[in-house]
Amino acid sequence: MRKSLLVAALLCGAAFLALSAGTPDAKPANKSTGSFTGATANLAPNDPPGQWIRQARDYANTRYSPLTQINKANVGRLRVAWSFSDGQMYGHEGAPLVVGDTMYLVTPFPNIAYALDLSKTGAPIKWVYQPNPDPRAIGEACCDKVLRGWAYADGKLIYNLLDDHTVAVDAATGKEVWRVLLDDVAKGPTLTQAAFVVGDKVYIGSSGGELGTNGWFQALDVKDGHTVWKAFTNGPDDGALIGPDFKPFYSWMKGKDLGVSSWPGEMWKQGASAPWGWVSYDPDLNEIYYGTSNPGPRTPSQRPGLNLWSSAVFARDANTGQAKWAYQFTPHDEWDYDGVNENVLIEIPWKGGRRKVMVHFNRNGFAYTIDRASGEVLVAEPFGLQNWASKIDLTNGMPVVNDAAHPVVEKKVENICPPDIGVKNWNPSAFSPRTGLLYAGVFNSCMDLTNHIVQYIPGAPYDGMEMVRKAGPGGNWGEFIAWDPVAGKRIWSIKENLYVWSGAVVTGSDLVFYGTMDGWFRAVDARSGKVLWSQKLGSGITAAPMTFTGPDKRQYVAVYTGVGGGAGVLRREKGYMPGGNTLYVFSVDGAGIGLGTSQLVSHAQAAAPVSVPPAAAHN
Amino acid sequence: MKRIAFVLALMATPAFAQVTADTSNPFEGKADAAEAGHALFGKMNCAGCHAYDLTGGMGPDLTDTSWQYGGKPGEIYHTIAEGTPRGMPAWKDKMTADEIWQVVTYIQSRHQ
Repeated sequence: MRKSLLVAALLCGAAFLALSAGTPDAKPANKSTGSFTGATANLAPNDPPGQWIRQARDYANTRYSPLTQINKANVGRLRVAWSFSDGQMYGHEGAPLVVGDTMYLVTPFPNIAYALDLSKTGAPIKWVYQPNPDPRAIGEACCDKVLRGWAYADGKLIYNLLDDHTVAVDAATGKEVWRVLLDDVAKGPTLTQAAFVVGDKVYIGSSGGELGTNGWFQALDVKDGHTVWKAFTNGPDDGALIGPDFKPFYSWMKGKDLGVSSWPGEMWKQGASAPWGWVSYDPDLNEIYYGTSNPGPRTPSQRPGLNLWSSAVFARDANTGQAKWAYQFTPHDEWDYDGVNENVLIEIPWKGGRRKVMVHFNRNGFAYTIDRASGEVLVAEPFGLQNWASKIDLTNGMPVVNDAAHPVVEKKVENICPPDIGVKNWNPSAFSPRTGLLYAGVFNSCMDLTNHIVQYIPGAPYDGMEMVRKAGPGGNWGEFIAWDPVAGKRIWSIKENLYVWSGAVVTGSDLVFYGTMDGWFRAVDARSGKVLWSQKLGSGITAAPMTFTGPDKRQYVAVYTGVGGGAGVLRREKGYMPGGNTLYVFSVDGAGIGLGTSQLVSHAQAAAPVSVPPAAAHN
Repeated sequence: MKRIAFVLALMATPAFAQVTADTSNPFEGKADAAEAGHALFGKMNCAGCHAYDLTGGMGPDLTDTSWQYGGKPGEIYHTIAEGTPRGMPAWKDKMTADEIWQVVTYIQSRHQ
């Protein structure tokens, strides 16, 4: 019975794919101008168009660049202008920042920072900063020794070290300005999150969903790194900064100290719920938004209850940290469906008016469009293969869970979709205010799951899930999709052999860029999904691409290669590439300052004094 | 004097004898020890890093022929007991010597 239900659910998922994959829907996919949906975004703080000063470019997390120099007519001529290898072999996940004439990069562990001078031929190194984090952190990071991004503010490069420090480095000199210790790595927590800055605060969230940690999120002062406020995810309301301002939309999230009472005994203390993903900010509401990870341990029968506030999203006052509302995507998460993916802040037409919403592609396979002022779920539709829930009930915000999807201790339950890593992971999507669509790399896979009882041992995994992951219908592990956040449906999709675990960037000329784990970097028509250019690179891509204007007024597109991170779950699949660490920077024809035929004399030769014939020198 | 005698007595028992790289596994090839090691591998959360099938994930693959800290029984014992500078916890305070040897036996059994 269980099996037949699962098969039926799987078929439903397959049917969903057949309807949507690569198939234009009611709204034509070849719409050549105008918006598909009427959705728009506030692109504050409206940085100069050619700069890329924060990981997602704007507070709303759109990853939209208004640049148009590279367009559909010339994108086929993109070639490598220059490249840069940083020598570190763990997975590369962040996007370069470009501030003025300088590019800033930070490696995965040991988290070395580089400043590159874009005004000079070949972008030479201006300075290097080596923070020398504690190598014990290597054994505590669940999913490779990664860093998802870094921030620039107030003349400083600010970022997390894997060993629970946050550092600020003088952006002009590379000298450390401050370094603060935020947790004890020996007990399991690490820092892999991309620091996010608004005004005088930098927002940091902890990692460690599989390590029995006590997840937290805090605001540090940009000037000296001191903690301005700190909110634990679980536990008593006081520690979670849940007070009189807290007004969740749904009644089952209302009540006192639910972060304690929705757990057995004191298990919330090892309940993880670590906010290791993206942060977004609405300047009008002065609210920040971020998600929380899976509960610990991953074996759900050990922690009966809703397990608040795991696998959820929080809206908080940016100044005080006081919670405004929360929404738990996956109550009593049984499958490791973290809620940490990006929340893209847009405005949509809704029932004759307009709503300020967030769009969130959850690991659980549903894409949520949520009113970000109230926490009301307006749309929740599958964006890929899933069979754990038949739907999200919009009357109460709860998923309707399929009986056959519940894991059982010491028994293999087959074909639960998606597996732990989700239909999409942390890899950030992009939104275009021109097309009104979101663009995201997604996964097509299921798992056979056997659960085990585990005990809490500080500093060791607190996990319990044994999985065999397998590709879904079609045999392709991944896809890249365009998504309508108002109707809750796909507009087009491109199948890929492996999970599409890169971020995306979309431009003012309606080009979307993304990369694959088998090393292809592609440019796609944002309206039709037609691939316009592909380049094979030296390793798989699990980082976010970006685009900028150089000092030579030329538009470049850049992406880090270096497959790794959670994507390593496919390391034994055909096509998975060896690790790497090279940043590739592309321009039309590979042109750039002093590159190609514009440099026919070596730098040393050019810098040498006028040469004197040897014979004359002897006189 | 009494204390020295106690320490000497301890060292004389196999459980607390100093293990070197060349120390042989007292349970080598014993199926019941391997099975006990299998249970410990799950119970002590080893599987969380090295996977239930020992093929690695967060930590290294224990079924291949690459050993960062040595693949002889005594070396594997040492790695489990003392941990590594790169984050492998030390288990000597959480498992007895016999238990560590059982885990070593289980790991060895997966190499046959």
